[in-house]
This record gives sequence, structure tokens and C-alpha cells, in this order.
Amino acid sequence: MRSLFFTLLLLLPTVALAVPSVQPAMLPIGTDADARAASTARMVGAMLEYTRWPTPRPVLRLCLAGTARYAGRLADISLSNGAQLQLSSLTGAGATRSEGCDALYIGQIDSAPMQGLVAGTRGQPVLTIAEDDPDCGSGVIFCLLYAPQTLSFQLNIDAVSRSAVRIDPRVLRLSKGGY
Amino acid sequence: MSAPVDKPLPTPCLPTLGQVLARAHMRLILFAVLMAGVTLTVTGVLVIRGYADRNLALIAQTVAYTVEPALIFDDMEAARSGIAAVAASESVHRVDVRTPDGRALVSWRRPGDDIMTMIEGSIANLVASAPATVDVRRGDRLIARVSVHGGAEGLGRFILSGLATAIACLVLTLIATWTLARRLQRDVTDPLSRIADVAHEVRANRQFDRRAPHAHIREVDQLGRDFNALLEELNDWHSGVLSHNRMLERQATRDALTGLGNRAMFERALPATIAQADALNLPFAILYLDVNRFKPVNDTYGHDAGDAMLIVIAARLRAGLRSGDQAFRLGGDEFALILAPGVGQEEMEAVQARIADGMRQPIMLPGGESVDGSLSIGSARYPQDSADARDLLRHADAAMYAAKGRRAGGKE
Repeated sequence: MRSLFFTLLLLLPTVALAVPSVQPAMLPIGTDADARAASTARMVGAMLEYTRWPTPRPVLRLCLAGTARYAGRLADISLSNGAQLQLSSLTGAGATRSEGCDALYIGQIDSAPMQGLVAGTRGQPVLTIAEDDPDCGSGVIFCLLYAPQTLSFQLNIDAVSRSAVRIDPRVLRLSKGGY
Repeated sequence: MSAPVDKPLPTPCLPTLGQVLARAHMRLILFAVLMAGVTLTVTGVLVIRGYADRNLALIAQTVAYTVEPALIFDDMEAARSGIAAVAASESVHRVDVRTPDGRALVSWRRPGDDIMTMIEGSIANLVASAPATVDVRRGDRLIARVSVHGGAEGLGRFILSGLATAIACLVLTLIATWTLARRLQRDVTDPLSRIADVAHEVRANRQFDRRAPHAHIREVDQLGRDFNALLEELNDWHSGVLSHNRMLERQATRDALTGLGNRAMFERALPATIAQADALNLPFAILYLDVNRFKPVNDTYGHDAGDAMLIVIAARLRAGLRSGDQAFRLGGDEFALILAPGVGQEEMEAVQARIADGMRQPIMLPGGESVDGSLSIGSARYPQDSADARDLLRHADAAMYAAKGRRAGGKE
């Protein structure tokens, strides 16, 4: 009992060093796929909340590309400004074209069509979110980062500057790595 | 049976003019300082409280704006760090973020206040206002409610520094009162006390030549002038009384016609001379003189002629005296001389002879007639003839009548 206490005491500085001073946004997520999908929907909803399009969108068209694992609950998203969410999937010939989309949720996809998609959104008012890009190298605006217990995201500031949509700068602070 | 007015009454414990003035100044300045201090403090507290309220509301607004995305992203750590970033540099004690139904989302407290801040905080809490509360909304949706507590350390600091200033002002007040009292003492009290000194001097020592000095205040100066004028009048009156007294004394002791001493003076001078002679152990002599032909002159030529005759005889008597000798007219045509102690038999006879010689010359009357002014002289020596004043007089009187008799006998 006593030795355990001392061991804990010795471990204390390590714990203190392990805690980072600035924490990125971390959404606790469950282990089952449905809980993860709910968390994903919530985070995507928050991202849509803080995104501004050049003209207001009464109906927000969210397109899905690739094979999304946690997109099952995206239809539950409700936006505070009252905009309706319209989900659609990009398949077949239009799989690499983002016309008619205000936001693009990209699941698992090969790198060639991925690059085509991202290139197509450059300079366009399209918010891009990648589900499966933990290194965030594909040029999308938001990359979702799944950890066993938490969900966080990274904001690609280069992609923001190349896009026609604007992201609330307060969201920068919540991004992994921070700004 | 009148009360003893002149007796100096025991002075009761009255305050001096300086003390009264100093006390008045003290009250006045204390009142002014308190009024100014209270007014400034109340106004300052109200103004600062208004600013503190607005500041608190602003902080609450900023916190709400900062934590809004974190709440949307459901990230309480980010919310907490956002609150800390905003609130740490401000005078905020506590920030609470709650859901609309009252569940606590994030609570932040300022860590480790020092004792001074705590004192200031508790003073500020006495006058501080309620915490500022701001709603966090996204669109129409109420997400959370931010309440910010504290933010009144400035107020506490103001009240503390106000107290310190008030104490400093009180010290200054004391110094100012002291200085003013000194100035007043110099300007008002000192001239007054100089006048009082002069009055005391005049009363105690009869120094009527003392005068109150000029003062630099009109009223005090006027008082001094009036006092000096009064002293002048008092001085005149005093010297008038003195000269009147001298005149009365002269009238009481001098013979008005001849200017010689009268009988009263002679009766005082004789014992005094006896005492002097006893003290010096020296003999002296008295002479009694009677004008031989006074009554016939008076009857023949009138009283004016008699008076003129007496005046001339008195002048001749005075001329025959040595210094220290005294001449008296006892009444009518009777004169007396006291020869000063130290006179011997021969000298007495020489004076006697000189007087008789001086009277040999006829006296010119106002009507042009000349009459004989000869005198009958009787002498008595002290202590040879008698050591008693009355006996001495009797002896001289007898000697004079004997001389008069001899003269009458010699004539007949």
C-alpha cells in the first residue's frame, strides 16, 4: 500500500509532463460504429456551423464521396440557422466532380480520384472534409482524426486560403496542433 | 460692606484665543476634508462600480464569444483554456458556463489569490454588483449561459487608497491647523497679548508711559490706539491728581503770605530735627522771634502795610539762614527758626546777631512810609536747655519775652 503510494508519487511528474498545454478539440467517442457515426455527425455539424459560404445557403447540399465508414448519422445534423441539409452521393462518372455540392464528405478513396476531387473544389465554395486522411496531406480543409477514445480534427489552413468558403477563425484554436 | 473687587480672582481654566482659533480651524478643516473625502469616495465608488459592471459584462461577452465554438464542438478543455485566456488577465474570480437547464459545463476559478487581493476583494464585495450573465446562442438556439463573478478589485483598491489618502489628508490637516494657528497667534493673539501686558504693567506698576505697539489688523490696531489714548488721559489725570495733592500739601504746611513753613509744619519739623540730632549726637537750637512794632504799624497804616512788613521780614530772615536751617511763621507776627544740628553757642549767637543786624534797616511800606522792623529774639539750645520739645519751646518763648521786656524796660 505504502510502496504503491510512493510509486504514484514518482509517476506524478511524468503525468504532468504528459499533459499538453493546449489541447485540440477532442470529442469522446464510443467504440461501436453507431456511436462513432453520431460523434462524426456532431463534429461535421459543428464544422458546417462555422463555415460561411459567399451567399447564404437555405438548403445545404452535403455530398458523400468514396466509401464512408461513419457517415450513417449525417442526416441527423440540424443547423442553428435553419438551413436544410440535403444529402447526396457522388458515384459513377460524377464521382470526381463536385458541382452542385456545398460540402463534400470524402470517405475512403483512391488517391487519384481524391486528387481530382480536391482539385475540382479549388477556388469553389465547397467545404471539404476527409474521413480517412490522418496525415491531412490530401488538400482538404478538415481532416477527421479518429483515436480509440476520442475524435478530433485538423484544419488545413492552405486549403482554407485556396477555397471560396470562410471558416470562423475561432475554430482554428480547436484544430489539432492549434494555430 | 462691598466685595473685595481689587483682589485678583483665581483664573478659571479658560481657553486662550489661540486655542479657540486652533480648535475652530481644526473643525473647519476636518469638516472640509471629510466632506471632500466622502463626496469623492462615494462618487468614485459609483463611477468605478459602473465601469466595473460594464467591464464584467464585456468580459462575459468575450468569454461567451470565445467558448461558443468549443461548446458547439463539445470540447470542454478548449472552452476552459479559452476562458482562462480571457479571464486570467482580468480581475475575475470565477467563470461558470452552464447549460440552459442549469447543468455545469465548465467552471473556472482564479488560482491562488494573495492576501492583499483577498482583502481588496472582500472590501469590493461590500459594494460590488451581481455577476454578469450572458447567453451563448447559435442562431436561435440557446447553447449555454456564461456568468462572470468578481471584477471589482479596482473598487477595493480605490477604497483602500481612498482611506490611505484620507489619513494622509488628516495628517496634513493637523499640520495646516498648527501652521494657521501659529499665523493667527502672530497676527491676532500677539498684539492683543501685548496690549494686555501693557494694561497689566500700568495696573501693577503705575507705568503710565508704556504704550501698546502698532498691530497689522485694523480692529486690533484701533483697540491699541484707543487704549493708548485712554492711557494718555489716565496719565494726565494721574499727574493732575499728583500736582493737586502737592498743592494741597503745600497749602497745609506753608504760610500763604510769606511762603515760610506754618505752625503745623514747625510742629512736625521739631521732633524730626530732635530725632536727627539724637542720631548724629549733635546739638541744635531754636529761635523765637516777635516783631516789635507790628501792631502799631497794622493799626496805623492798615493790614496791607502789616502784610508787606511781614513779607519783608520773612525775606530778611531767610537771607540770614545757613543751609539746612528752617524758618517758620507761627501766626500773626511770630516767627520761629530751627538751626540745623551741629550749631554751637557762638554760631547761634552769630546768626542771632546777623538777623538783628539785617532788621536794623527800616522797612519801606507801599504807602512810602518807612518803619522800624526790629525783632525780639529768644533762643533755646538742645539738649543743653532742655531735651524735651515742649520744654524747649517754653524755654525759647520765655527767652523771647525776656528780651521783649528788656527792650521795653530799656526804652522806658
